[in-house]
Amino acid sequence: MPDVQALVNDFVLKLRRRKIEGSQATARQTAELLRSVISQQRVPYTNQAGALIDAIRAVGEQLIAANPVELAVGNIVRRVLHIIREEDLSLTTAAIAGLNLPSVSDDDDDDDGEREDQPVLSAASVAAAARSTLRPPSLQTLLEDRPDSAAIPHTSSSGGDSEGKSKSADKSSRSKKLKHDVIEAVNELIQDIATCHEQIAEQAVEHIHQNEVILTLGSSRTVLEFLCAAKEKKRSFRVFVAEGAPRYQGHLLAKELVTRGLQTTLITDSAVFAMISRVNMVIVGAHAVMANGSVIAPVGLNMVALAAQKHAVPFVVLAGSHKLCPLYPHNPEVLLNELRSPSELLDFGEFSDCLDFGTGSSSPLLHVVNPTFDCVPPKLVSLFITDTGGHNPSYMYRLIADYYSADDLVVQQKPVSVN
Amino acid sequence: MWGRSASFILDKQKIDVAQNPNHTQPPDTFTLLSSSPPPVSMADALHHHANPNPEPPGISAYYQARAAHYGVVTSDWLADAQAAVARRPDDDDGPFSPPAAGKPFSVIDEFNSWRMQPDLAEAVAAIRALAAVIRNSQATTMMELEIELKKASDSLKSWDTTSISLTAGCDLFMRYVTRTSALEYEDFNSAKSRLIERAEKFGEISCKARRIIAMLSQDFIFDGCTILVHGFSRVVLEVLTTAAQNKKLFQVFCTEGRPDRTGLRLSNELAKLDIPVKLLIDSAAAYTMDEVDMVFVGADGVVESGGIINMMGTYQIALVAHSMSKPVYVAAESYKFARLYPLDQKDMAPALRPIDFGVPIPSKVEVETSARDYTPPQYLTLLLTDLGVLTPSVVSDELIQLYL
Repeated sequence: MPDVQALVNDFVLKLRRRKIEGSQATARQTAELLRSVISQQRVPYTNQAGALIDAIRAVGEQLIAANPVELAVGNIVRRVLHIIREEDLSLTTAAIAGLNLPSVSDDDDDDDGEREDQPVLSAASVAAAARSTLRPPSLQTLLEDRPDSAAIPHTSSSGGDSEGKSKSADKSSRSKKLKHDVIEAVNELIQDIATCHEQIAEQAVEHIHQNEVILTLGSSRTVLEFLCAAKEKKRSFRVFVAEGAPRYQGHLLAKELVTRGLQTTLITDSAVFAMISRVNMVIVGAHAVMANGSVIAPVGLNMVALAAQKHAVPFVVLAGSHKLCPLYPHNPEVLLNELRSPSELLDFGEFSDCLDFGTGSSSPLLHVVNPTFDCVPPKLVSLFITDTGGHNPSYMYRLIADYYSADDLVVQQKPVSVN
Repeated sequence: MWGRSASFILDKQKIDVAQNPNHTQPPDTFTLLSSSPPPVSMADALHHHANPNPEPPGISAYYQARAAHYGVVTSDWLADAQAAVARRPDDDDGPFSPPAAGKPFSVIDEFNSWRMQPDLAEAVAAIRALAAVIRNSQATTMMELEIELKKASDSLKSWDTTSISLTAGCDLFMRYVTRTSALEYEDFNSAKSRLIERAEKFGEISCKARRIIAMLSQDFIFDGCTILVHGFSRVVLEVLTTAAQNKKLFQVFCTEGRPDRTGLRLSNELAKLDIPVKLLIDSAAAYTMDEVDMVFVGADGVVESGGIINMMGTYQIALVAHSMSKPVYVAAESYKFARLYPLDQKDMAPALRPIDFGVPIPSKVEVETSARDYTPPQYLTLLLTDLGVLTPSVVSDELIQLYL
């Protein structure tokens, strides 16, 4: 695996130096890297899923530590872990269903984990129990038996062992099958990441109506595609773009919109409160969406959200599903903000004497703080538009339950203290 | 103003009619207001009919039991109790002799005997009582057993209508029973024994639930924070104990919790754990809310909207915290989720509790004796449960999955 390690190191360096711009590019490259890791990983005959999971966890830990602010990295790592668990589970149930005695009807496709009360076939019960550990705990399963999740891979493979020689041939084909399935699923994931803009832009027509005024801040590629898709469907509307100091990416967005034929007005960030009363809707992109529905967005968007709330203007956030993070903002693993270079604000030439940390005076009186992100609380957001459709902020936890497993929230390899 | 007050006059008259059916005609509202010989004072007239009974029918047995617990519960006692439960999960009949052969089995007696153990949650006591019903039942088919259980569960629920976790625990167990149908078992006895085994295990689940919640909440408590707590919740005590064991530095503001003095009890416990505690009177919550970083409360019940029902005063504190943008975290086990949807404070079955003011109150003065209030979900930030950290909107989802 030395070449994979070299790839990993390379990627870690790029992340650390912030060479990769944007969460979509980061997510795609992370997924591709993890795909290489999986295909190169040698798996033992038994407990293959466990080996894959450990390998991904080790790599994932390094990646997350390299750029903790880029939550997309952690999201993709957790998605891949969830994919591995799911594929392993479906393979196990398929294998056992194949060996199933006719006395027990094949309930394995029936999605209720309570069917473990079958004294006839223990392997089926193990598979069902594994299914119930894969889903997060719920009131339904409160009174059920929930065996320890660590025991599941062993028992499922040992259940396979006890069936005899015919199983060994199945197992070797199974081992290849698991990796194959996982890699296929990761390819689908990469495809989804690449096409997220199109899927979100398809919904533009439902939300933007004739003669509306839309406000946005800074520049987001998702927003650009969204607005252009509505334009192509012959909606005529106007856009106010707030410039998004200190990077002034709003200027770029305004230029782009004009070349696509949209009527655009450029305003400063401070003018947002003044202009918001003339606006019908605010549409913005996001850096990441947390589990409680709060949004990590480029700096200045919290102010726009407050202005929108004050004037009862809907605040719509566009986010691809790779931006959905299963952690809550209070979690110590989540770094909500990053400080960038003060040179974006001040010209070093003019202010060099104030900012001088060097000889003579102790510490300079002038400090410059340039945060990158803002955290917008969920109650200010009206709607999330993801590639699966439009959702309420309080609905985010459902998407998280679909995409992530509860066991993967902590990617670090520290010893588990949970009982 | 008159619109409101007329309604309470009408309410009193209804009480009057209910209590004294011999009265030929209750006085008409308007004659009362404008009649020539008005009674000495409005208050007297109203109070004629609705004298506070020496034995008010609505005193909540649930809160009486809780009050009895507060006297006993200390952290050492809790540790002992937990150890005892863990040691003998199956026949914890030590202090409780099984009913004599001649005495008919009463689920309510059984429930009461379980409930008196201060460490046991209400729902666990209910489920243990229902397990005892199964053990003592003479049924030979699953259907008969279900019917017996339903009868027992209904009688438990009607015996104390004010306890939400009792209702929720009964419903949860009934739901589990009806779903684990005996079609899977050829043998009725093995089904029966399995049900009993699961019910016994539920006590362990309850203890584990508290530990899971304590572990989840460690992320919220950071060094140097100030926590405001209200009411004596065993779950919140576990949360704070675990944080202290993890060597976190924090201080706790404890409201007095009139009239049960729950705050005093809690502050005793916290002082034993060497956690800096400050006692406040209930009215000082807004005064100190500025210095507070977060509010931690338990819950008697979590309702379908995601709001909670808890000791009187919780709503007040949640309102103050919300207006000052302080987070309110609720620590509640998942079996407290109940299928209730109160629309306002009076929408629940009244749970009354006598208040001792220390000085005699003149008879014409009424006292608001309700023991609990309802906090709507918009004032709660997060629910810490054994199912994970949830936002209030998840509760209805969970309940739908269970019941539909």
